[in-house]
Amino acid sequence: MIVATHLRKQFVVRGKPLVAVNGISFHVKEGEVYGLLGPNGAGKTTSIRMVMGLLEPDEGYVEIGGMRTDQHASLIRKELGLISTNDGVYPWLSVREMLLYFADLYAVEVPIAKERLEELAGLLGIRDFLDQRCSTLSTGQKQRVTLARGLMHDPPVMLLDEPTRGLDVVGSQTVFEFIDFLKKRGKSVLLSTHRLDEAERVCDRFGLLHHGTIRYEGTLSDLRALTGKEHLVDMFIDLIQSDRTQAPISSSMGAA
Amino acid sequence: MQEYFSNGRLGRLCLKELRESLRDRRTIVTLFLMPILVYPLLSMAMQRLIVGSVRGTSEKQEYLIGVADEETAQIFNNSIRETQRAINAGVRPSIDIVRSQTSSKNKSDPVATDSDHPDSDHTDDLQALFRLAMPERSSTSEALKDGLLDLAVIQAKQKDLRSRDGQSIPVFEFELQFREGDLRSEGAMLEFRKAMQLVNDYQAAMIRGPSLPTAVQVKAASIGKRFDPTASLAGVLPLVLILMTITGAVYPAIDLTAGERERGTMEAMIATPAPRFVLLLSKYVAVVTVAVLTALANLFASWITLSIGGLGRALLGEQGFSVLALLQILPLLVIFAAFFSAILLAMCSFARSFKEAQAYLIPVMLVSLAPALVTLMPNIEFSTWLGVVPLVNILLLSRDIMTGSPAPLPAFAAVFSTLIYAAAALVVASRLFGAESATAGSQESWSDLLQRPRKARAIPDLGELSIYLALLFPIFFIVTNLTGQWITEIVPRLWCNAVVLILMFLIAPALFVWYRRLDFRNTFLLDFGASSCSKPGNYGISSQLGWLISSVLLGLGLWVIAFELFKTLSDLGFGALSLERSESLDALKKQIREIPFWMFLLTSALVPAVAEEFFFRGFVLSAFRHRLSAVWSIALSALIFGVFHVISGSVLSIERFFPTLLLGLALGLLAVRTGRLWPGIFTHAIHNGLMFWLTRFEEQELEGWFGKGNQHFPVLWITASMGVVGVAVLLLWMSSLDRSHENVS
Repeated sequence: MIVATHLRKQFVVRGKPLVAVNGISFHVKEGEVYGLLGPNGAGKTTSIRMVMGLLEPDEGYVEIGGMRTDQHASLIRKELGLISTNDGVYPWLSVREMLLYFADLYAVEVPIAKERLEELAGLLGIRDFLDQRCSTLSTGQKQRVTLARGLMHDPPVMLLDEPTRGLDVVGSQTVFEFIDFLKKRGKSVLLSTHRLDEAERVCDRFGLLHHGTIRYEGTLSDLRALTGKEHLVDMFIDLIQSDRTQAPISSSMGAA
Repeated sequence: MQEYFSNGRLGRLCLKELRESLRDRRTIVTLFLMPILVYPLLSMAMQRLIVGSVRGTSEKQEYLIGVADEETAQIFNNSIRETQRAINAGVRPSIDIVRSQTSSKNKSDPVATDSDHPDSDHTDDLQALFRLAMPERSSTSEALKDGLLDLAVIQAKQKDLRSRDGQSIPVFEFELQFREGDLRSEGAMLEFRKAMQLVNDYQAAMIRGPSLPTAVQVKAASIGKRFDPTASLAGVLPLVLILMTITGAVYPAIDLTAGERERGTMEAMIATPAPRFVLLLSKYVAVVTVAVLTALANLFASWITLSIGGLGRALLGEQGFSVLALLQILPLLVIFAAFFSAILLAMCSFARSFKEAQAYLIPVMLVSLAPALVTLMPNIEFSTWLGVVPLVNILLLSRDIMTGSPAPLPAFAAVFSTLIYAAAALVVASRLFGAESATAGSQESWSDLLQRPRKARAIPDLGELSIYLALLFPIFFIVTNLTGQWITEIVPRLWCNAVVLILMFLIAPALFVWYRRLDFRNTFLLDFGASSCSKPGNYGISSQLGWLISSVLLGLGLWVIAFELFKTLSDLGFGALSLERSESLDALKKQIREIPFWMFLLTSALVPAVAEEFFFRGFVLSAFRHRLSAVWSIALSALIFGVFHVISGSVLSIERFFPTLLLGLALGLLAVRTGRLWPGIFTHAIHNGLMFWLTRFEEQELEGWFGKGNQHFPVLWITASMGVVGVAVLLLWMSSLDRSHENVS
C-alpha cells in the first residue's frame, strides 16, 4: 500500500546542510502495521511528512496505492489519515462540529459524514460529549476525539506519528486498541515511535531508523536473528554504542 | 478543487472559522464593549478640545464683526436697529437671531469698540450676536485673514429715503468678506444675511410695497480657506474608525492562523486534501466578517454619539454626521477591512505562535500609523497621488466624505487600488499560510512570488496577476496623472501616452513573463500561421480568413455602438463634463485637427491596440484562464480593461467605463475563440481609429450625418452596426468550429 523508495531529505540549518533522511526505502502492505522506530531526531517525522506529501523529498519518491505523491497530491491525501503527537482540538467548537469540519476538509458528503460520526462515536466512546465544547474535555477525551478525527474520511492508510507521547497507561492502551481496530479493518498503518516496548506489542514489521538511514528491517524474529538480541531496546543500545565507537554523535540529528 | 466550492462546503468551512472567532470572549470584547466605551469618552475629550479651540459655544454665540471706522460701525448698527424694528413690527424673526441671551456691555477686548443702543428689548441680543470691533494696526481684511474677526465690513453705505407719509426709510448697501470653509465665519455671514432679509421683508411688506427695489444689498466675497481648528478634528473620527476596524480584525487574524499552529490543529488541517487557498479563503472571510461587524458597531456607536451630543455639527459642519455620509463610509470601511484583513493574515501566517504573531503585528501597526497620523494635519489635501497610498487614501477619503466634498478621481483611485492591494495581500497570505518553516523550502512560499522560479510554466497564475496589478496600478495612475497635468500640448502628449502604453502594457509584462519563466506564446496568444503551433488547436486557412473578416467587422460595428453608449452616458451626466472641461475639449479638438492623421493613427490607434491587447487579452486573460472558466475570464479581464480606461490624464471619465467594458468583452471573446492575439489587435485598431477619426469633425460637419442638432448616430446606423457585430460574432463562431479550442492551461 505504501512504497517509499530511496527517500532523501536535506535541510539547511543555520547555513549548514543537514541530512535528515538519507536514502531510505520501505513498504507497508495492506492490513500491516509497520513500525518506523528510532531515537529522537532519527528522521521519523521527516519520513512521515514525505509519505504524507507535506514535504517534497530531494530524491526518491513515495507511492500510495500505486499513485506517486508528487503527481496526485490531493487524491492521495484522501487515502491517508494522520494522527500525530501534537494534535490539538478546537477549544471553541463542539466535538461534533470539529469532526464534521474535518469531514468537509476531506470533501466527505454530509450524509456519509454524519453516519460515520455516529459509528465512530460508538466505537471510541465519545458519544456522551459530542456536543460539548472541546475546551471542556479531559486529556483522554481529547485524545479519543483526535483518533476519531483521523478516521472521519475512512482512509485505507493511517500514519501515526508518535501517537502515545505524553499519554498515561490508559491513554496508551486506547491507542493500542485503536491500532488493533485499524488492523482488523485491513488498513495499512505506519507507526513512528521511540517507545520500543510498545512497538514490539503492536507492529508486524519494523524499520530501525538511525541517523536518517534504516539500519535493520524485518519482523521481530528477523531482527532477533540478525542482531542476536532479544528485545528492540537492546538492539538499539547496541546500535548507538557501535555508533559512538565509529564517530561522535552529531549534535543536531534532524529536524524531526 | 471544485468539490470545495460546491454543496455549500465553502460556506461550512467559513462558518467553522466564524464560530471559532465569535465564540471567543476576546472577540466579543473588541466587537461590542470597545465601541460602547470609546465613543462617549472620545466625544467628551473632543468637546473639551473644541471648547478650547473655538471662542464661544453654542449657548453663548457671538460674532466679531470688523469695521474700518466709526461711520461704518454706525451704519452697521443702524441696520441692526432696523432689523429690530422689523422684529417688533411682527415680521417672523429667524430663530437664530433672538437666541443669544448675553449682554455685551462688560466686554474688554483691546480691539473692540462697543456701541450701545439700548432702544428696545431685543437690540441687546442682536448687539450681542454681532459685536463690533475696530482693528487698530491692520485693515479689517487682514484681521479677518488672521482669524481675529469672523466677518469684515469692507464698505457700508446708507441712504435715507422718504416715504409718502414722511417716514424715513433707510436703505443699506454692504460689502462683506468672510473666510470660506470656516464654520464661525460662514455662520456669521449667514446670520447677518438672515437679519438683513428680515429688514427686506419688513420694508417690502409694511412700507415700500413689493415692487420697489431691495432695501438692503449684501455683497459678500470669501478670502479663501483658512486653517480651521475643527477641520483637523474631523480627521480624527475616520482614524478612530479605521483603528477600531483594525483592532477588530487583529484578534481573529492571529487566532485563526498562528493560533491554529499553537493549538496543534494546523498540521492535521493542511494534511487534508483541501487546497490551502480554500483554507485561507475561509479564514479570510471570517476575519473580514468580524472586522466589518466591528466597523459597523463602531460606525453606529460614533454616529449615535455625534448625533446626540451635537458634537457632529461642531466637528463636521452644518449637516453633522449625516446618514448619507454614514452610508458612504460603511462600504469604505468594508473595503478597508478587506484590505487590512489580508495584510494581517499574511503577517500572522508567518508566525508560529500567538506571541510571535503579536510581535510581528506591532511594527506593522506602527508603520501604518505614522502615515495615518499625517492625515490629521489640517492642511493636507486629498490629492491625486495620495489616492494610491494604502491606508492614507481611505482615511482622507472618509474625512472628505464626512466634511462633505470628496474629489472623484482620488476617491476612485483609493477604492480601486485598495481592492487590488487586498487581492495581492491575499495571494501572499495564501502562500505564507501553512508553509512549514523557512528550511522546508519545497513548499510554495511567499518568496516564490519574488524569486525567479526554476521551472518554466505556460501561463501566469492569479497570484502573479494580483501582484503585477498591485505594482502596476499605482505607477500607471501616478504617471498618467502627472503627464496629464504637465503636458498640455497635444503632440507631446500623444507621444507620451504612446510611450507609457508601450512601457506599461508591453515591455513591463514581457519582462515579467521572462523573469517568471512563463511561456510567451501561451501567455500572449502569439500564434500566427495556420498550423505553426500545436497549441491551441490547428485551424485551416479558412478559419484564419474567417477570423480576419470577423475581427474587421467587429471593429467596424463596435465603435458606433460604443460611441452611442459614451454619448448617452455623457448626456445622462455620468461624465459630469464641466463647462471648463468642455472648453478645453474644444481647444483640444482644434489642436487635433491640425496634427497629421498618420501620427494620430499611430499613437492613438495602433500603439494602444498592440499594447493593450498584449496586456489585457494576453497577460490578464491568460492569468484568469489559469483558474477560471472562459466566461468569467472574459468578464473579469473586460472589467479591469474598463477600470483602467476610466483614468484619462488627470480626470476621471466614468462615462468611458461602459463603452470600454463592451469593447473588452468583444475582444475577450475574440481572443478566447481564436486563441490568438492578432484578431483583437485588428478590431482594437479599427475601433480606435474610427473613434478618433470622428473627433476630427466639427459639430456642424457631423450634422450632415447625424441630422441637425443631433449629437447621436441615426437609428439606421446603430441598427446596421449591431447587425454587423452580430454577423461578426456568427462568423467567429463558425470559423472556430472545426476544432474546438480548449483551456490553454
